[in-house]
Amino acid sequence: MAKPNPSLYSVEKTFIWFGVASIVLTVSLVLMVGQDYAREWKNWQRKFVRLKVEKTQAELKAAEEQLDQEKLKSLREEYEKTKKDFKAKKPEYRKLQKETHRLEVELVKARALQNDLKQYYDSYRYFLEEYQEEKEPQAAEYKKKLEEIAPQLEASQLAVEKIEKQKEEKEAQANELLAREEELQKETDRLTRDIQQLERALGQIKPDLVKALLNAPMLDFLRPTLQIQQVVVEDLYDDFHFAKVQKVDRCTTCHLGIDQKGFEDAPQPFRTHPKLELFVGSDSPHALEKFGCTVCHGGNGHSLSFKDTAHTPQNEEQEKTWEKKYHWHPLEKWALKMLPLNHAEASCAKCHRGVLDIPQAEKLNEGRRIAVEFGCTGCHKIEGFERAWKVGPNLEHAESKLTKEWIVRWLQDPKAFRPAARMPKIFHLSNTSSPEEKEKSFAAIEGVASYLLHHSKPFELTKVSEKGDPKEGERLVKEIGCLGCHSIGDFGVNHFAPNLSGLGSKTTADWIYTWLKNPKHYNPETQMPHLRLSNEEAADITRYLLTLKNEEWEKTVVSRAKPEVVDDMVLHFLRGKLRREEAQAELQKMDGEARLVYLGEKVIGNQGCFACHRIEGFQEAKPVGTELTNEGAKEVERLDFGFTEIERTRHAWFFQKLKEPRIFDHGRIRDYFEKLRMPQFDFTDEQAERLTTFLLSLTEDFVPLEMQKQLNLKEQEIEAGHWLVAKLNCQGCHLLEGTGGRVKELLQDPGLAPPPLDGEGAKVHEGWLYQFLKSPTEIRPWLKYRMPTFDFTNEELKTIVDYFHNAAKQEIVYDRVEKKPSSETIQAGKKLFEMFQCIKCHQPSEAPALGASFLAPDLTLSRERLKSQWIADWLKDPQTIQAGTMMPSFFPEGQSPAKDILEGDASKQIEAIRDYLLQYTPQEAASLGKK
Amino acid sequence: MIEGFKHLVNSVSSPVTVFTGALIVLSLMVFFPKQATNKWVAGGLLAFALIFFGIGLTDENFKKIVAAPDNVPIVAMIFIFGYFTWYALWKGVRNDERIAKGEPTLEGLETNEKVLVFPYLIFIEFVVALFYAIGLVVWSLLLKAPLEEPANPTISPNPSKAPWYFLGLQEMLVYFDPWIAGVLLPTFIILGLCAIPYIDTEPKASGYYCYKQRKFQIIIFLYGFWILWMLLIFMGTFMRGPNWNFFAPFEPWDVHKVVPLLNVNLSEFVFVKWLGWGLPKAWFIRELPGILLVIFYYVAPPALLAKTVLKKHYERLGVVQYNMYAVLLLTMLALPIKMYLRWGFNLKYIVAIPEFFFNI
Repeated sequence: MAKPNPSLYSVEKTFIWFGVASIVLTVSLVLMVGQDYAREWKNWQRKFVRLKVEKTQAELKAAEEQLDQEKLKSLREEYEKTKKDFKAKKPEYRKLQKETHRLEVELVKARALQNDLKQYYDSYRYFLEEYQEEKEPQAAEYKKKLEEIAPQLEASQLAVEKIEKQKEEKEAQANELLAREEELQKETDRLTRDIQQLERALGQIKPDLVKALLNAPMLDFLRPTLQIQQVVVEDLYDDFHFAKVQKVDRCTTCHLGIDQKGFEDAPQPFRTHPKLELFVGSDSPHALEKFGCTVCHGGNGHSLSFKDTAHTPQNEEQEKTWEKKYHWHPLEKWALKMLPLNHAEASCAKCHRGVLDIPQAEKLNEGRRIAVEFGCTGCHKIEGFERAWKVGPNLEHAESKLTKEWIVRWLQDPKAFRPAARMPKIFHLSNTSSPEEKEKSFAAIEGVASYLLHHSKPFELTKVSEKGDPKEGERLVKEIGCLGCHSIGDFGVNHFAPNLSGLGSKTTADWIYTWLKNPKHYNPETQMPHLRLSNEEAADITRYLLTLKNEEWEKTVVSRAKPEVVDDMVLHFLRGKLRREEAQAELQKMDGEARLVYLGEKVIGNQGCFACHRIEGFQEAKPVGTELTNEGAKEVERLDFGFTEIERTRHAWFFQKLKEPRIFDHGRIRDYFEKLRMPQFDFTDEQAERLTTFLLSLTEDFVPLEMQKQLNLKEQEIEAGHWLVAKLNCQGCHLLEGTGGRVKELLQDPGLAPPPLDGEGAKVHEGWLYQFLKSPTEIRPWLKYRMPTFDFTNEELKTIVDYFHNAAKQEIVYDRVEKKPSSETIQAGKKLFEMFQCIKCHQPSEAPALGASFLAPDLTLSRERLKSQWIADWLKDPQTIQAGTMMPSFFPEGQSPAKDILEGDASKQIEAIRDYLLQYTPQEAASLGKK
Repeated sequence: MIEGFKHLVNSVSSPVTVFTGALIVLSLMVFFPKQATNKWVAGGLLAFALIFFGIGLTDENFKKIVAAPDNVPIVAMIFIFGYFTWYALWKGVRNDERIAKGEPTLEGLETNEKVLVFPYLIFIEFVVALFYAIGLVVWSLLLKAPLEEPANPTISPNPSKAPWYFLGLQEMLVYFDPWIAGVLLPTFIILGLCAIPYIDTEPKASGYYCYKQRKFQIIIFLYGFWILWMLLIFMGTFMRGPNWNFFAPFEPWDVHKVVPLLNVNLSEFVFVKWLGWGLPKAWFIRELPGILLVIFYYVAPPALLAKTVLKKHYERLGVVQYNMYAVLLLTMLALPIKMYLRWGFNLKYIVAIPEFFFNI
């Protein structure tokens, strides 16, 4: 029998398996190290190094080309020559060096001697003092010693100085020999300084063996050149729901060129950040070191992989490219993904709170404006926007203004009546277009009309007694300032107030007349002021407005509500509270009109019409829309995408909702009153994009107060003013803060335009402005545009005055300090006044001889109205205060043309004119006129 | 054709079919072990499973669940335990044949063959350890641990699943009250496992694979392990989706799926549907039918069987051991019984005492 195998298995075969296992294990371990080592960001850094090397090399080449080769050559030649010459002098140099060395040794010895002597001196002096004090006999001995040693010390000091001087001389001589060489060297260096710098820089960044070793796997813990770059932001936090973690932004690991000028054309991710002086640059208000990146752009700053940082593609095309090139896919669960670049401005609102317009954030500001203009905050509560006004007209007295027929027609489709109507379409939209739903909509509309008229509070209209001339009315409308807010059809530049087209098909003469005379009588909360119209003027305008008809619309046929549909809908609501039998009984108790009114009430409550309109019975009702205070951070899972195929992102949902609000109902089976209710505003793509930016800005992100842009008291007062200016559309007529005053385009003569208001605070007295706004007076008689009477509250007046004066950096003072100028100053001023012929333009009469552009306000107003410092500044150089003004510069470059008055001193003359003006009364004017 | 296959699978998938199917497969395996462990049969089963997975992985929904790094080990576990079960049965069948012929068992043959631990055993172990290490390294290279972003307390994941070793219990929660499924039954599992050495004192058949000699115990074990443990974990991992709804293998996990739940307590069945009396107020009277039924279930079958079929075993084991056996076995059987009652009759609870938060 063969000897049994001691191992019971084939050891050789097992050895083979062992070999296989070892090799495979080694390979897999190498793969493991490799996988750990190979990071995305390292590749990007290597790419950037290549880019930078290329750039530096290009700069080097350019610098070398710029270099004056001739000069360099000549310098080098001279240097060589000098060196050769030096060779001859070398023995001398050596001798000098030897001497210097010897002198150094001498110096050391002399210094040592000096030190020793000093020691003795100090010691003897001490002992002498002691013994003298004690009156000991040794005092005399020490006195002698001291006297001996003092001159020795003196001598040694002199010796040291002498040797030092000798040494210096020798050294200077030696250096002299080398002087020329050094000089040449310095010059060469100066010439090649840039090139040397670039070469040094190149050496630092160019990859070489040492750097490769430092970056090698397993060795890269020492001092790698490929490193993670991060910005630890002190006061900003990432909200991880249960903890606030300090932000650590590692974006610059790949985005290496972002804070350096010169990479504007580089491929991403190396491109320089746009507007480096505003963002990211170290001198900018948003420095990279202080703010990081993710506070504005969102995303996961801690991560280092392209996908995990939650980069968001801007459009589908980019998404496809990313999917292909980088295997990108959206991060499923990271809530606050990076904002797409076109919505980056949404983050500005996090820190810039409490301001109407955020500087340089045009898209966001526009979005806000659109939201306030269309009354979004009426349905959707947004914290911080509570003071937004109701954007639709007051319907509490609807019966005095409208007929049922008109309301029913209007509600079918507002834009059919007036294409420029701001009211959105509420009925017959894409989710309520089936035949049954259409019938229901007809019934609902009629119900609403019935309710409004039934509950309309009585209102007495003033009857129009005058006949009125429509042509005159047209002229008035176009000339006295209505176009500051209104347009008529296509004519006009301002769309702040409702377009006036079709008004003749809408309401009655009496209503228009009553309204024009005093809008606040009909609606106390209206923004429309009155223009102090006389009865005649009001009648003219009324007649004219009544001629604006929309005849086509008047001819359209509108279906009436079917009684059984009305009954059904009423029953539906009654059954919300009662059982079917009782609901039927209740229904029978109501007559046709009562049913419609009941239905109207329920429909208004369901649809939330009171968001824009003040409606009787709904003054305190709560908004029906979703609260949007934190909409920018809303979890995407909470957004109902319905059966649409759009991207599952917040911004895609917002955009879609704004463009077609009812689309998420498609495919769903829902009762009429359970359907989505948001109206169709017909936003353009641009408006929807702006609004999306606005919505994305609504977050409750925690930003510590230190990092927010906080407004001081004056800035807050300015912001309060901004709000009123926006609410009352001052910029419809006036140029203020760089915008507005577009009515100028409608006027032939630019001098007929309302005056610009920038710097008004420095110009007029607070008290005067207060009074003027309260009750406007005539300043420029040739202006046909009238400053309206707004019926401000005292609070509002104060806000506006504070606004203008804070904006002009004035201390707000209501009292005036009257100075008493000397009589000769006044006389001089009068002379200058006559010399410069001020009255030629500053004419008090109503029928001027000059064109409007040349006319200027009556100077008798100056006393009450203008600030004395402003008058002086104005006279000195009008163009700096109001560029383009027709007021001449009488003192070009600070020089006066009148050399004989007040010694030709321009500033004294200005003061004299100013002082004269400040006591320029109508009597004075009259006396001058007589002359 | 593949689409047709997927549709077919989806349409027949339900908890009933999966459970019943598993019971049938297990029964076939334990009652026909020789045929079941036949290389061709087992190979065929394996091939079918692999083809199923292969086809399945082309489907997006299937892939999303099965290829998730968390679930890959569960898939691996099923295959591995399947292999070991087959191996044990196969060896058992072979040993049974040898014993029937009077030959020594395979283990008996090997007993006298010994190997030096060092170097021979160690060497093999070492090579195996190397392969094990390779497996771990390659696994770590290919399947990354799913590190998600920090938890959001306002959004619970849907479905919220327990770790795999508790998924069986989570599945049981569908059919049982949390007290039963979460406390009582796990306690029974642990106590039962501890009690095995004291109830299963059969001295025969130790040290070698066998089947006929320990048929009863093996069947109980395989039933307990595969049906009550592995199958429930399998269902909990792969077939339970958002809101713990049942989802077929190729069905997308839709959060909005709404399935009617119409289950009725036994007391309602008895007092409202059958007798028409209306539910009694006192819980004792109301739940009396259920309580009696449960008592009957635990008392009657053991007593009857002790007197008749299992008389021999009763005498051999003695009262205590026999009753312990009975209680444990009956509890093990209670699970499928309850499940079928639920599926067949929409039975919610046999005994429902919300006053004490106690339901069976």
